[in-house]
Amino acid sequence: MSAGQAEPGTVTGRRAAPEDTAVVRVEKLVKCFGSNRVLDGIDLDIAKGEVVSLMGQSGGGKTTLLRCINLLEEPTEGVVEVGGEVVSKDGESLHRARRVQLRQRVGMVFQSFNLFQHLTAAENVALPLLRVGKVERAEAVRRAVDLLGRVGLADKALELPSRLSGGQQQRVAIARALALRPVAMLFDEPTSALDPESSAEVLAVMRELSTEGITMLVSTHEVGFALDASDRIVFINRGKVVQAGPPREVVFGSASERAREFFAGFVRYGKNAN
Amino acid sequence: MPRSLASFGPFHVDWISWAPTVGNGILKTLEFTFASFVGAVLAGLLLALMRESPVAPLRWLARIYTEIFKNLPLLTEIFLVYFGLASLGVRLSVFEAGCLSLIVFYAAYLSEIFRGGLQSIAAGQREAAHALGLSEREVLTRVVVPQAVRLVLPATTTMLVDMLKSTSLLITISAAELMTVGQLIASTSFRAMEVYLVIGIIYFAMCYPLSMASLWLERRLKAGTPLSPRRRRLIGDVRLAMAGTPGRIA
Repeated sequence: MSAGQAEPGTVTGRRAAPEDTAVVRVEKLVKCFGSNRVLDGIDLDIAKGEVVSLMGQSGGGKTTLLRCINLLEEPTEGVVEVGGEVVSKDGESLHRARRVQLRQRVGMVFQSFNLFQHLTAAENVALPLLRVGKVERAEAVRRAVDLLGRVGLADKALELPSRLSGGQQQRVAIARALALRPVAMLFDEPTSALDPESSAEVLAVMRELSTEGITMLVSTHEVGFALDASDRIVFINRGKVVQAGPPREVVFGSASERAREFFAGFVRYGKNAN
Repeated sequence: MPRSLASFGPFHVDWISWAPTVGNGILKTLEFTFASFVGAVLAGLLLALMRESPVAPLRWLARIYTEIFKNLPLLTEIFLVYFGLASLGVRLSVFEAGCLSLIVFYAAYLSEIFRGGLQSIAAGQREAAHALGLSEREVLTRVVVPQAVRLVLPATTTMLVDMLKSTSLLITISAAELMTVGQLIASTSFRAMEVYLVIGIIYFAMCYPLSMASLWLERRLKAGTPLSPRRRRLIGDVRLAMAGTPGRIA
């Protein structure tokens, strides 16, 4: 499907061409902050159930790419589609009500967790169900506690975020993002603010999600996770995709010099370890 | 000289017969405080939202207002509202003039406190709410305001106590509140020390519990105690659901 066919405001759920099965589709995406071209023509398709790791130097545009997908940032140029719906095209993005609807279908997990500090873990998870999903209170609570159980925190349901460790907070944040059963989950460096032990907890939950057929786009520096939990690594440098492919290929046999440099430390360490 | 000795001892004023008058004064003080505080909180909130508005003239207007009324003495504002407006033909009752001057003065301070509260909610909180698909209004009412309220509560109750004490300045327009009553008793009994000590103790007895109550509320909020019935029911449901679901370890 060419970008020209779809107009902003196209009805959701359309399944015209087979290529449309991409849950997230990004074409020639450009994002500028003033004169700074942070994303410089990104192309990326993510199939249903696919787990894609976005890797590359900090400041390379990974976070901005994720934020353009749920319109926390306005794309400057190019096309973004989610679930077959055009959410942004040529600098024109969905407005108000439709933007809110888009975000209900995309879950996002932040580096700094961003749990609502005044609410308990269960309330954090129940909030989107009650406010956005219009689920009944008893049912919302049941699902919230259930989701907390899925991330191993059913017993922490009544704790305030300030009383949870970083790893626990991030797992609650994952449960919250899953609450509305999104078509895709965006993870923005979910373990960068965590110590190794907490990282391991969070990565374990994410590994489990990756086996459950949830479409995931993960910006991460965790090479181990990218290698064994993702279907594909997309390596981004200076706002461009410089390498994309099966994880082992990108990490160990990258054609791109920049990617080889980036993974050199890991590869050397891996060889020593063997 | 037994008489002069006696005059140094306590309670020579006939407080029993003054009690109804004092009672009325206390009531008046509380009326001024309550009405003005509600007004000042609403006006302060409006000003704070104007300061954060994307519409530039609204921001300027709120800014100019705040700077003017924060930097005028309260007494000057009372005189401006009561005597000044009267000279222009706008005759307000003592109660209206008293409340209006307190509102105008404290709204300026409260708007600064509220603005600080709104600004100190981390951008990440709004973003997370947006990312979940909450509407603009829900982001404000469910995420930003509840947290801001918790942040500004201590400073706001300090202002409430301050306002209660400031109602004593309304003596200058004979507002019949506690201080005016005190002056009346002092001028008929000629026992200024005793009268103003008692009046002072009454002010303290009104302000101290307010300060204590605000500390108590602050502690409860910090501990996450739900204050609204809606949250209490929700948390009750969570407790029930937890009892039904054994904690699973991932």
